Amino acid sequence: MVRFAGRRALMLVVALLVSSFVIFISLDLAPGNPLATLSGGRTLSPAAQRVLTHEYHLDQPVLERYWHWLTGALLHANLGTSIEYREPVSSLIGQRIGVTAELVLYAGILIVLFGVGLGLLAGLRRGFLDNTVIAISTVLAAVPSFVAAIVLLALFSVKLGWLPSLGDGSGFASTIEHLTLPAIALAASAFAVVVRVTRVTVRAELAQEHVQTATSRGIPWRLVVRRHVLRNASIPITTVVGITITSLFALSAVVEQAFNLNGIGAALVQAALSKDFAVVQGISLVLVAAFVIANALVDLLYAVLDPRVAIGSRAA
Amino acid sequence: MKRRTLTTLAAITAAALPLAACGRDLPTAAQLAGASSGAAATAGLSPETTPPTRNYNKPVVWATYRPVETLDPVQAFDYPENSVDTTLCDALQRQLPDGSIGPGLATATYPTPTKLVLNLRSGPTFWDGHPVTAADVVYSLKRAASPTSGSFYSLVFNRVKSIVATSPSVVTITLSKPDFWLQGELSSMPGIVVEKAYAEREGKKFGTPQGLTMCSGPYEVKKWIPGTSLTEVANPHYWDSTLQPKVHELIFKGIGDDASVTSGFETGAIQGDYPLNISTLPQLQADKNLTVSFGPSNAVDALVIDNLKGTLGNVKVRQALSMAINREALIQALYHGHAQLPRTIENPGAWGYGQSVFQADWDRLPVPTVNIAKAKRLIRQAGAEGQSITIGTTSSINSLATDANSVRQAAVSIGLKATIDSVSAANYINFFTSASARKGIDAFPTTNYPDYADPAGLYNTLAIPGGSQNYDDFSDPAITNALEDARSTANPDQRAALVAKAGDLIAQQLPWIPLDAPNQLLVTAKQLTGAPDSFVYMGGPWANMMGGR
Repeated sequence: MVRFAGRRALMLVVALLVSSFVIFISLDLAPGNPLATLSGGRTLSPAAQRVLTHEYHLDQPVLERYWHWLTGALLHANLGTSIEYREPVSSLIGQRIGVTAELVLYAGILIVLFGVGLGLLAGLRRGFLDNTVIAISTVLAAVPSFVAAIVLLALFSVKLGWLPSLGDGSGFASTIEHLTLPAIALAASAFAVVVRVTRVTVRAELAQEHVQTATSRGIPWRLVVRRHVLRNASIPITTVVGITITSLFALSAVVEQAFNLNGIGAALVQAALSKDFAVVQGISLVLVAAFVIANALVDLLYAVLDPRVAIGSRAA
Repeated sequence: MKRRTLTTLAAITAAALPLAACGRDLPTAAQLAGASSGAAATAGLSPETTPPTRNYNKPVVWATYRPVETLDPVQAFDYPENSVDTTLCDALQRQLPDGSIGPGLATATYPTPTKLVLNLRSGPTFWDGHPVTAADVVYSLKRAASPTSGSFYSLVFNRVKSIVATSPSVVTITLSKPDFWLQGELSSMPGIVVEKAYAEREGKKFGTPQGLTMCSGPYEVKKWIPGTSLTEVANPHYWDSTLQPKVHELIFKGIGDDASVTSGFETGAIQGDYPLNISTLPQLQADKNLTVSFGPSNAVDALVIDNLKGTLGNVKVRQALSMAINREALIQALYHGHAQLPRTIENPGAWGYGQSVFQADWDRLPVPTVNIAKAKRLIRQAGAEGQSITIGTTSSINSLATDANSVRQAAVSIGLKATIDSVSAANYINFFTSASARKGIDAFPTTNYPDYADPAGLYNTLAIPGGSQNYDDFSDPAITNALEDARSTANPDQRAALVAKAGDLIAQQLPWIPLDAPNQLLVTAKQLTGAPDSFVYMGGPWANMMGGR
């Protein structure tokens, strides 16, 4: 366990270092100039330009700036200052990460409840339910989250007036109220994937020889399903649920924009457009870290679900 | 002298929302029946809205096209910052809803043409209770005038020799040459007074989310979540008893795309906005819970000519291109008809003084009409048939894409070859800041405006050598002289006559090509009333005029 944790921690550090370097360099190569953001496109006098360029270290070569950023991050836990908002990146992220985490958590719960739940039911029972679930998931799989956002807004917010259209609310009840539509929009297409994978996996397990043997030996259906089908199906289902939920962190950008939520996804898009280096860097690293940690959790879960899997080794 | 820069949301939802996507098709002649004829300049447009009768106790959410980025007035230059600074701060002179300028924190007099004396009002205090003193005024003005403070306004002080507090309540500005534009500038962002001790203490943090600001205005900052919202509460000790705020809490939110703004209004999540243009206008107008009105504006849409060495270097080609642009269709497509046909690069809403002089001049200028035959003749005379132009734009911002398409159609219709070079919304602003981004681009569309109601405020940026937006080094001695003379002329009507003369010449020489002059759109919840419907929200008090119906 300690070795597993150590190995994963090392992996996290390497992933963060490599991605921070790649992001910094590629942002530098992309067209555009942070100074234009700073001046809002206003023509600045050469003196004013010099002052601003110097203040934000834009006059240094890219590697030097990266080094400056890296040492700041490592030695002073300082992720830099946003050019656009003149605010430390860490506090920018701090203000936003809560909303994104809540949104992803909410969408994740929806995916597990409805995606895995309906997938299991559809897998176990052929017929009307199965066909309905397949039909619905086909439609949802084809709907990108920004379209889902617009449809949900138009219907439940503007037309029916049930749920708010903007903002993230405060307090538990209000947060749930504000995040319901965004969470559905975010979960919709991922839901379809999870439903289908779950259903197919359950079907495949049902067709396995040991399941048929168990059934023919007269073991009650409930037990067969629990011990032989679900147990074996749980590994691929965990894999797909894990990957889907981590990917929601990145996908949340679109939904956050549509519902005007103050999350890190929306901030990342904004920062990338205005070449706000430090913010892009900071948020990307949070996303990378979330991905690595979520993967570690999924690996731990494998060992819990299947004792044959040693901690840290990849499940089949 | 600014422009709307970029909307980030446009970039991400451009693909998603047909209404925010690239330029719409121009309407047919039949659809144009209701388009503005441009005959009466400001007829029927009034900055007045129904005055409020009581306090409005619920928070008012006011939308801006993007979130506020700074509270430092010397770095405010775009819609969100200006609309917020005008609620927090007072300037030395005050812009009124009709564009006229009156006393603000001070009265201004010119004892001689090269001396501007500011007599401070007694009574105004900053939010922390300290009185507004001459030292604060000198500090604020010097800060705005300094090219190294990060100020965007140092150029407007280029005739200022010294700024001195001659008594605890008098500040004297000595000029190297007469400058009657300075009074207008002092009614806008460069004239805003901040507390010296506070700004010095905050240093580099001043104006940022950590440092905030210290002003004397009707509202003060309560909470700022950068990138999302800025919450203000009414200043209970506001010095001006005639303009006490009636809305207790004001929340500015950056909401970029038309769809979000529209659903926000329809669900009651937004109570007010001064949209630049909105594709969902009919939907908002049909909503019984909203008030939609139009008033005078300072803004114009125009085509910036940034290269005089290419095809557009010949004035006949510029005139031909201007003559071929279907402005009525453009006005219908962008503003549902709520814009005026520009006879020069100005919006009649920007006549803050000398109105009768400007009106008489406007009436003499021809209404722009499409005349392809004449345009083709001009192209032949210029020998420009088959020559090509490149128009820079961004397909992510609907109005700019529509402008560019309309110019391209015009160019093709008179026998020019025209290509559109579309960049991302974020890179579009580089056309204004970087000569390398303008390379190979002959022209690009913009929405531009003077900071206070004077057409000269825009002309001097584009038509005088060294002007901040004169990208092609356009120079015409007659225009330059008329504007320089205007700047030195005390009498408002005489000054207006000189500015109008420059406007006439600009309409002939076309350093930029005017496209349209939009009216100021104001959308509020029905229960909220009194916000002035004019460009004043960019320079003078407005939020403290609102209240409940």
